[in-house]
Amino acid sequence: MFDIFPTAFIFFAGALLVAIAPGHRLRSAIALLIPVIAAWQVYHIPEGVFARAEIFGQTLEMMRVDKLSRVFALIFCIAAFLGNLYAWHVRDRVQQLAALFYSGSALGAVFAGDLITLFFYWEGTAIASVFLIWARGTIGAYNTGLRYLIIQIMSGVILLSGAALLWRETGSIAFDKMTLGSLGTWLIFISFGMKCAFPLMHNWLQDSYPAATVTGTVILSAFTTKLAVYALARGFAGTEILIYIGAIMTLFPIFFAEIENDLRRVLAYSLNNQLGFMVVGVGIGTEMALNGTASHAFAHILYKALLFMSVGAVLFRTGTSKASELGGLCRTMPKTAIFCLIGAASISAFPLFSGFVTKSLIVDATAENHYTLIWAVLVFASAGVLSHSGIKIPYFTFFGHDSGLRPKEAPLHMLLAMGITAFLCIYIGVNPDPLYALLPYEVEYHPYTMNHVVAQLQLLCFALLAFVILMKTGLHPPEVRSINLDTDWIYRRILPDIVMSFGRGLGAVWTSAGQSAGMFFGDLYKWLEKVLGPETGVSGVRPVGTMTLWVSVLLSISLVIVYL
Amino acid sequence: MAHIPSDKHEKLPFLGRFLSWFTLPQNSKFIIGALVIVCIGLFLADFTYKKYGHFEVETYKGFYGAYGFVMFTALILLAKALRYFIQQPEDYYGDKAIDREEYPEDQLEKLGHEDV
Repeated sequence: MFDIFPTAFIFFAGALLVAIAPGHRLRSAIALLIPVIAAWQVYHIPEGVFARAEIFGQTLEMMRVDKLSRVFALIFCIAAFLGNLYAWHVRDRVQQLAALFYSGSALGAVFAGDLITLFFYWEGTAIASVFLIWARGTIGAYNTGLRYLIIQIMSGVILLSGAALLWRETGSIAFDKMTLGSLGTWLIFISFGMKCAFPLMHNWLQDSYPAATVTGTVILSAFTTKLAVYALARGFAGTEILIYIGAIMTLFPIFFAEIENDLRRVLAYSLNNQLGFMVVGVGIGTEMALNGTASHAFAHILYKALLFMSVGAVLFRTGTSKASELGGLCRTMPKTAIFCLIGAASISAFPLFSGFVTKSLIVDATAENHYTLIWAVLVFASAGVLSHSGIKIPYFTFFGHDSGLRPKEAPLHMLLAMGITAFLCIYIGVNPDPLYALLPYEVEYHPYTMNHVVAQLQLLCFALLAFVILMKTGLHPPEVRSINLDTDWIYRRILPDIVMSFGRGLGAVWTSAGQSAGMFFGDLYKWLEKVLGPETGVSGVRPVGTMTLWVSVLLSISLVIVYL
Repeated sequence: MAHIPSDKHEKLPFLGRFLSWFTLPQNSKFIIGALVIVCIGLFLADFTYKKYGHFEVETYKGFYGAYGFVMFTALILLAKALRYFIQQPEDYYGDKAIDREEYPEDQLEKLGHEDV
């Protein structure tokens, strides 16, 4: 047996209990208790490598505990607790099981000390999480889930191929820092990039998260992408290309988020943008930057979950999360509105909120390392975050024009989940030291300097002013029922169109070939009929004597030839 | 057009009444005025302390304000232009896509604020 019970197994044991437990309240209670037990273990476990297992001559390390894995594991436990609390009302056993298997797999992957263990949990997150999408139970969700699953599984298969190539090259399956170069390392890098929603590989995120259930999206938002950030931080810290990839990630989603109508998809774009900041931190790879990535992932999981929760609560009460259908809900859902505003302030990095004390570590790291353009992009993207997550989400849902909807306030357990999350967002912002103490490296950073606070407030308040002016002048794009094309257009429209037109072409060739063959055989038949048909001499009736006569003639001719 | 209930006759929760103050058209000028004052104050604050930064541009008075204002405006206008290229009707991917579907009612608790 293991020297330490792997944290993932705590979740799997909980899932087994949920599988047999009668009554949804009991199941929800188990789902709440499990992350608490796991968090206690993660917090108290000493650093080192535990739970080794031998398989086919390779050593699997299921619990590699250090500061980097611990901080990610802790926030995963907190996210699992908050997500399950938010989902207290859910009666669907499949969703409860999926949430536990999914968060357990993510924790298993974070603690994986080798690439094979990582691969198993990597696929585990893919398979478990798709049920949170399918649980919606519509054809659209089923189709979206399939697309999601294909991409997630593909990421795992690429990871396994990379691990195999790396093993052949180095003889080791250890999951440690790698240098891009060989095919194996590139495959592993691409596999991480797919899950991390790198540009052009990102669209599974915006496609699938709005398709999941109300509670499923909250749970989905925490794990997969941050697991990928962790994997990049572990495997590819200091890889310069990540700085540029990350900068592009911060940039392009803000344009899409601005014009997107489905608010859960706006949040998915915004998530993509936040991942960009973390990827830049990994790319810079200094202690400060990696601290920035880890702390930003921590804070981000909380405020992103909070935003998804508030929009989810609106969907739960009104049946829609489309900005064009919403507005003015602060009248009857004021608590949800306030929690949403706290999430918005946190993601926009207002002073005293969590984003402020974490994002600035990354932005300052780019400046310190003289990446001028990247720094300018990140500051721009910070203003961009304000536009969609800071303003658009709360304004068009809870304020703005009155939609006439007067839904009831969110149920108590949702308010509780949002309240705890909102508290944590503010607590981290006001008192960042406990979070800083969890980070992989020593932190020498003081976010609350006059210089920094005024700069950030100027950036945000003047951006707000620009928003007001754009709204007043009617230049701000209105919210309309529509969708926007993204890279999913390639595999949802273009590729099927090509396949369809190829199919049509093949069909046309087949038909015309059939027609020509038919004509050819028809002509041949007619000719044969003419030559051999019953009307012709060949098929006529002859007396037996004629045949005998001809046989005699032939025999005579051959006799003559023989004797010649 | 949806029926818009009048706030005066509604029994709104206290917090709701408080927040709805911000949505009233007659109050918008106060809110905008306050924002303008805050912005001016933040600009003036730049003169009260020694600005430092990794780049020279960071030491300019009001740099962050100007950058935020200009870039935010550019972002919105560019995004608006982007719509011209990529916006499609909701049924673009057919009826078997989530954008065309209603969220299943049995998974929701659609209640009005006066429902028990």
